[in-house]
Amino acid sequence: MTIEKTAIKLQEILNLDRSTKKLIPLNEVKITISKQQILLAVQTILKSGIWHLSAITCQQLENEFNLLYHFWKSGGLTLLISLDEKNLRIDSICSLIPGAEYYEREAREMFGIEFLGMPNPLPLLLPDNWQGGYPMRKKEQPSQEKSKENPAQEKGKSA
Amino acid sequence: MNNITVPIGPQHPLLKEPLSFLVSLEGEKVTDSTLRLGYVHRGIEKLAERRTYIQNVYLIERICGICSHIHSTTYCQSVEALLKLKVPKRGLYIRMLLCELERIHSHLLWLGVLSKNIGFNTLFMYAWRDREIVLNIMEEISGGRVSHSVNIIGGVRVDINEKHLSLLQKSLQELTIRVEEILRSIENDRSFRARTRNIGNLSLEDIKRFCVVGPVARASGLDIDIRRDAPYAAYDELDFEVPLMTEGDVWARSILRILETIQAIRLCTQIIHNLPDGPVSVTAPRRVPAGEVVSRAEAPRGEVFYYIRSDDSQKPARLKIRTPTLTTLITLPGQLKNMQLADVSAVIAGVDLCIACGDR
Repeated sequence: MTIEKTAIKLQEILNLDRSTKKLIPLNEVKITISKQQILLAVQTILKSGIWHLSAITCQQLENEFNLLYHFWKSGGLTLLISLDEKNLRIDSICSLIPGAEYYEREAREMFGIEFLGMPNPLPLLLPDNWQGGYPMRKKEQPSQEKSKENPAQEKGKSA
Repeated sequence: MNNITVPIGPQHPLLKEPLSFLVSLEGEKVTDSTLRLGYVHRGIEKLAERRTYIQNVYLIERICGICSHIHSTTYCQSVEALLKLKVPKRGLYIRMLLCELERIHSHLLWLGVLSKNIGFNTLFMYAWRDREIVLNIMEEISGGRVSHSVNIIGGVRVDINEKHLSLLQKSLQELTIRVEEILRSIENDRSFRARTRNIGNLSLEDIKRFCVVGPVARASGLDIDIRRDAPYAAYDELDFEVPLMTEGDVWARSILRILETIQAIRLCTQIIHNLPDGPVSVTAPRRVPAGEVVSRAEAPRGEVFYYIRSDDSQKPARLKIRTPTLTTLITLPGQLKNMQLADVSAVIAGVDLCIACGDR
């Protein structure tokens, strides 16, 4: 099934109006959904034969955070979800797409998004004893404090 | 029997870049493994928000030392899409030429690393000797062996002249002979087969579940290639095949990458024979109008993904990069399970990791 057909099906199943669909450059369809619809939307996309999730982008806007789920099959399909900055919780999609684990972990440590039900909440890129807040947020200054001990050594000792 | 945990990395002779594995063993058998990234995390996505679009071309190129050109290509084509710029054909062809030369260089480098890890030093020396041919061409064209800085927003910085063309023709012929010889020797070599066959297996099912891309996915029978499925630059004007294998082990990945190298040489030959005339670049404005763009390209290791949001200023508001290594890393603990400890080196080398890409 093509991207275009999947987009129409998504709009039907999720009861979205037409204005939620947009085209952005380089052959990409973008659909805005609400955060309660994420699991149903991903299930619909998987059923349509699109299994490849390229990435999850997180970004901070004025008073909200955006999550963009980029799917691909010979063309791109992006799901856009807005999160209120006071409530940064959303369901994890790792149970449907195990490959999303690293993308969710990155969004969690860099922006502070809470993914409910993610299998492995350990840090991915930052040190284990990182105290510097969420580095990718706007106005966030790089921390001056240095990590006290090498996390790999610590792990080796405990093992 | 008691379980032993062996740390591999972050600094280890087996790995060329810092990555930490903790491998749990029962006797010689791997029962479990965990991996830890982040030792070369440089915060490039954050840095990019503080630099102008032009400065970013050079920052982006330093994500990776092997596939530097494909990163700047993907970045430049996204910014060009935001600016609605039309890049001259000759510029696109030179971009593709460098992309394909980089693919040859990356695959030969990887073959060297794999053969060194499995103790096949002769092949390691042959592969790296032949890689010098490509590096010399790239140095002649751009002035740099690994960081080329060929791309600019709106086209490329260099032009191909008669001297380059004759060097390319001579070197590509020589390279074809050498690569075909490498293919013959590893296809028939008994010890190479014994060290790589039936290890690190990934089924087609797993490839789809973990969203794996590139040669690792194609060696398990998943037929995807951005160059053919969603052509960028001018790949739709070129004729090439996408090799496919179904075995899904380290052996299949090796053969597949050599076949890809042969295809890349074929593409280079086509590009220099069909090189269009005209300018190589157009002037791009510094200010980028507000908008967003999603861009993908086929790096030597698979799909590389860029997302840019602009806000009508000289600096990007958000730049997201997803590199192909991140998709293969997530499958490694599964691949290592129930392996012999001696095979771990071949499995890790077999997926062709680029940690600098993964960490950014």
